[in-house]
Amino acid sequence: MQIAEPLQIAIDELSKLPSIGKKSALRLALFLLKSQPDEVDNLVKAILDLKRKIKFCKICGNISVEDECEICSNPKRDRKIICVVEEASDIIAIEKTNEYNGLYHVLGGVLDPLKGVGIESLNFASLLTRIENEEVKEILLALNPDAEGEATSIYLARQLKARGVKVSRIARGLPIGGDLEFADEATIGRALINRTEL
Amino acid sequence: MVLKSISLINFRLHKNSSLNFSEKINFIVGGNGQGKTTLLEAIYYLTTTKSFVATTDADAVRFGERSFELNGEFKNQTENKIRIFYSKETGKKQIFLNKKQIVKSSAIIGKFPVVTLTQADHYITKGYPEERRKFVNSVISQASSTYLNYLIEYNRILRQRSSLMQRIKENYSEKLLNEFDAWTEYLISNGVEIVKHRLSFVKEFNEYLKEAYANIMLQEEIPIIKYKFLETSDEKNAEEFFRKELRARRDDELRRAANLVGPHRDEFRFYFNNLELRKFGSQGQHKTFQIALRFAQFFYLKDKLNKTPIFLMDDIFGELDAFRSTKISEYLGKIGQAFITLTDFSNYEEILNAENDKLIKVENGECVYE
Repeated sequence: MQIAEPLQIAIDELSKLPSIGKKSALRLALFLLKSQPDEVDNLVKAILDLKRKIKFCKICGNISVEDECEICSNPKRDRKIICVVEEASDIIAIEKTNEYNGLYHVLGGVLDPLKGVGIESLNFASLLTRIENEEVKEILLALNPDAEGEATSIYLARQLKARGVKVSRIARGLPIGGDLEFADEATIGRALINRTEL
Repeated sequence: MVLKSISLINFRLHKNSSLNFSEKINFIVGGNGQGKTTLLEAIYYLTTTKSFVATTDADAVRFGERSFELNGEFKNQTENKIRIFYSKETGKKQIFLNKKQIVKSSAIIGKFPVVTLTQADHYITKGYPEERRKFVNSVISQASSTYLNYLIEYNRILRQRSSLMQRIKENYSEKLLNEFDAWTEYLISNGVEIVKHRLSFVKEFNEYLKEAYANIMLQEEIPIIKYKFLETSDEKNAEEFFRKELRARRDDELRRAANLVGPHRDEFRFYFNNLELRKFGSQGQHKTFQIALRFAQFFYLKDKLNKTPIFLMDDIFGELDAFRSTKISEYLGKIGQAFITLTDFSNYEEILNAENDKLIKVENGECVYE
């Protein structure tokens, strides 16, 4: 079947988005086609602004409107501790808790030799510069608990300790409000190993 | 645990077969290539989501069809229905437990324990060390999902580590070596957990093996599995030994860009009366050991999981004399549910206990009760 060219182009572009297949792309394109012109304009403007106005904080790599993100430029934040995360989206997750008042550092990934990702491709050199210049006392590692995250944590801990910084990691354990009997064995196992004294 | 019924749709030779089973012994009789083993394969699929013969899911689709479907009804304290649907077009296998789709197949492994005894078991006693590792891994994984998780993680680390060694070989740098050391450290902490599980498993399992030899196989020989991790059988030493060996072989590993040290190279040695089976065992002694291993697995899982496994025996009786076969099937009838395939039933008619057992004839993918 022949599809009008502008529609085909829109489908192709939309289907490049994560978790959007050809069918969803077609549905989205047809939806946009039926929408009011100003609705489409707003969407286009939002996408363009996203790309034009948002940049990455030159200090920590967080998503930001200014050169320095709101967290790095906030004088009330504790500058003695830096929490290292994989992606900027992890900052959003931690910020929602309101339990952490330190700074962040976005690594931009984890060590993954199979995908050709080494320490050179991560924002690690900038972290080293930060601990030299700033009065950082502690680095808190908050990477995902998979093989790549674990190996990266070990790497970072070794490098950072060698430079005299205290290194800690977020604890692994049971979800709040979850029933012990429904948790998977691996989680319970780790929680037992990481038990705390009362 | 009992498998009450099963249905196979477009699964190998079976176009549409539905069967109800006995809670004791089910004899499945038919000529070669008629689809008896396929019934066992279907049961194995339903309990583990995989085949026990080395084929792809696509190979199991009936010739000329696009998908297969398997259904099984299990009874434990509760009833559970498992459905597996595989489509050639999407290449996807969907697994449903009580109509709810399951994403990770590890969610099923161990829930419906199954023990198989097939001709391929001779690789376990006669083949390479890898076959014995596979056997040990599969038994511990069925009993402990913690172990299974460590194993999956460990294999991931091995792949990452060898890929990194390849890069170091092509492009040597201090920085890459630091990364390598981090992966090595994680290899150690994960590997040690695997070793700990294996050491305590072998110790426990040996008791089950001895019992199976004496009570089922009626043998006076003493069987034993010997296992050491780098010359130690004390889990307290595992980490130190592992670290030391890795240090000693570091250059060797980097030169060959291969993981040369670790539990993935462990050896499990089988002995009877202090003689190594692989070197000194006769044909009959190998067979006895293979059968004893599976009965030991059966009782080990039964105790660990508090569920009685289903026993699948494929074409084993042909190799045993009538006395042995009778003894084994009598024993099976007492301990739980079993499925036994036979090419010829005429020699075994006296085994059949008409009250409890079932005889199913399979011919060209069609099943009939006798």
